[in-house]
Amino acid sequence: MPPVTYLEAIRQGIYEEMERDSSVFCIGEDIGIYGGAFKVTEGLIDRFGAERVVDTPIAETAIVNAAFGAGLTGLRPVAEFQFIDFISCAFNQITNLLAKSHYRWNAPAPIVLRGPCGGGVHGGPFHSQNPEMYFVHTPGLKVVCPATAYDAKGLIKSAIRDNNPVCFFEHKFLYRRIKEELPTDDYTVPIGKARIARTGRDITVVTYAAMVYTALEAAETLAKEGIDLEVIDLRTLLPLDRETIAESVKKTNRVILLHEDTKTGGIAGEIAACINEDCFDFLDAPITRIASKDTPVPFSPPLEEDFLPDANDVIREARKLRAY
Amino acid sequence: MAEKRPATSKTAPKKPASARTPPQQRTYTIADHRLENFDCVISMDRDAATGETRYNVTGDLSAAAPPIRDSKYLEREQCIEIYRWMLLNRRMESVLESLYKQTKVVGGVYFGLGQEGCSCASAYALQNDDWLGPMIRNQGSLLVRGFSPADIMRQYMAKGDSPTHGRDASSHFGDQVNRNVCAPISMLGELIGVMTGVCLGARLQGRNIAALTYIGDGGQSTGVTYEGLNFAAVQKLGVVLIVENNLWGYSTPADMQFRVRDLAERAIGYGIPGVIVDGTDPCQVYDATREACERAYRGEGPTLIEAKMMRMKGHAIHDAAQYVPKPLFEYWLRRDPITRFEEYLVEDKKWLTKNEHATLVAEVDAYLAEERAKAEASPMPDAKEDAKHQGVYCDSTCHDIRPKYAEVKFGKEKKAAPKQKSNEAAVHLK
Repeated sequence: MPPVTYLEAIRQGIYEEMERDSSVFCIGEDIGIYGGAFKVTEGLIDRFGAERVVDTPIAETAIVNAAFGAGLTGLRPVAEFQFIDFISCAFNQITNLLAKSHYRWNAPAPIVLRGPCGGGVHGGPFHSQNPEMYFVHTPGLKVVCPATAYDAKGLIKSAIRDNNPVCFFEHKFLYRRIKEELPTDDYTVPIGKARIARTGRDITVVTYAAMVYTALEAAETLAKEGIDLEVIDLRTLLPLDRETIAESVKKTNRVILLHEDTKTGGIAGEIAACINEDCFDFLDAPITRIASKDTPVPFSPPLEEDFLPDANDVIREARKLRAY
Repeated sequence: MAEKRPATSKTAPKKPASARTPPQQRTYTIADHRLENFDCVISMDRDAATGETRYNVTGDLSAAAPPIRDSKYLEREQCIEIYRWMLLNRRMESVLESLYKQTKVVGGVYFGLGQEGCSCASAYALQNDDWLGPMIRNQGSLLVRGFSPADIMRQYMAKGDSPTHGRDASSHFGDQVNRNVCAPISMLGELIGVMTGVCLGARLQGRNIAALTYIGDGGQSTGVTYEGLNFAAVQKLGVVLIVENNLWGYSTPADMQFRVRDLAERAIGYGIPGVIVDGTDPCQVYDATREACERAYRGEGPTLIEAKMMRMKGHAIHDAAQYVPKPLFEYWLRRDPITRFEEYLVEDKKWLTKNEHATLVAEVDAYLAEERAKAEASPMPDAKEDAKHQGVYCDSTCHDIRPKYAEVKFGKEKKAAPKQKSNEAAVHLK
């Protein structure tokens, strides 16, 4: 089989789930004939019809509320945000209606809320954001951020089969930049399980989404200096796989928390607290955070480059930790 | 555009058909089933002498109450049944008030006083397969849909065996499985979009159903109201939206919420029918709701029904509604839905004798006394035991999610996903 992109992997995942289960349907803006702004739903309308690939007015609250309503009738809606930045338009619906529904009145909300997130593509302040932490803070949601094509396909399938509202954040920098051969069988990747992207013994880097590649790039350089990084790709932010993090920290005793989201209130703070609770005694050095600056995502390439963490940041901090 | 003129000359050049068509007159009409108009204005005035700012009402408030309009559909038994629900609604709320005064209620109590006819008669028009999305004052709708007064009392008392096990209050509960009632959240207008989705889901399963929900003159100001109803209109989904214009959004008069004369006019902007009814007349409410449901079953789309009435108490029990001009209460008290419907059944129609009516009231009170005793005897939740109820997540064992009405038909042979056609140039951000 030829290798497929991260984007195509997601499209295949949705397509296969719609084939497998007729209660799965898509809802969103421009997802039908146009195939979505990034073409993730391309061709779905030809196969499944306008009934199961529902184009909506530009109305994010209507998309989420209608998805919830359809979910009440036992269907599994997959709602698309054209850019994940627009998920803020439906913040109330997601955090108050969907997330609390099962706990409050025993009504599950089996809904996927998916869309392209992330920077590095010069999209500016409203087409580059990483809004995952608003949702990680909300009990009742699941938050998934895949980094590979294999995981993207396996996780979108798991998200569709999950009985809970799942925020599925697709990193648009990765959409067409990475490719890999995928198994032909109907595989899934479990939500809530991290993956060791690189095994190492000296320093653990906990990260996810596009920053996995930043960490791996840094690891190549550092390996030449004899610093052996272990890279954890979280894959899911909520629920967080604390065991995999703790296990790695117990082995390496040094940890860098790396994310593209801005620093204050980013998941690094939460993970640092978890490490304190789970394996403080194993630490040989302070926990290090590397994240984007606490500003909106700037538009111009030199500014955005400065805003985003890169491999040099990881290399610099890893050297400091090694010397600590 | 120019007015159409008769051709005066045989030699006039032929124009294309479109040019000959007279300018289209926009002839939208709003059906108004009321037997009277409420033509008063509530405005904010400042007393120059005292400096006090208050609401004043201007207009003629002297009219006697209009009669009940005979229903096109309801027969004797059904009218009596609706009346019984209205009585149960009102007298249950009296019990809630009493429980509150005895400090047995946690938090506030919300009343539908003066709005019982609208809640009960509208919910009564639904079929079993239809859906209801109640708002805070539609406790009568919940009763009609099959919840017990004890359920509602337990919610207010935060009891461990309330429908939400003490996790949420008031009318914030529902039943997705049997009664098709969606629990509301406190943010206003959300259920319009949810009911749109319920109809969308049912239609995918081969069914055109009706989904009834409500919004107030206050809540209709929210943006989600527009987004939800517009989507329902575009997709021709069977939402029945009753705009309960009870003149007050908390302490703000309706005249400060919108500029249209009647909220039913909003329907024009959605391209759907708009209907006005007297919200204190259960027959009018029932007929309009039923006709909206029938439109939904035919797959023709949503209907907006404005029900005019007045909230006869404050926003909640803590609010004495002192900002409401007294003459308004007097005017609307004469239009009390229960008193008038009682007169209609007993005096006008002679469908109930005075004795039968007294028996009916006594039965409702006896039933409520039992329900109150049950609810009061219910335990408070035990925080340690709470974990035996459902958690924040739905795991695979707690719900078997499957289409409620029918499997979605998709008979085509399975195929692998075809290769993607588009290339990278399709998107400017990669």
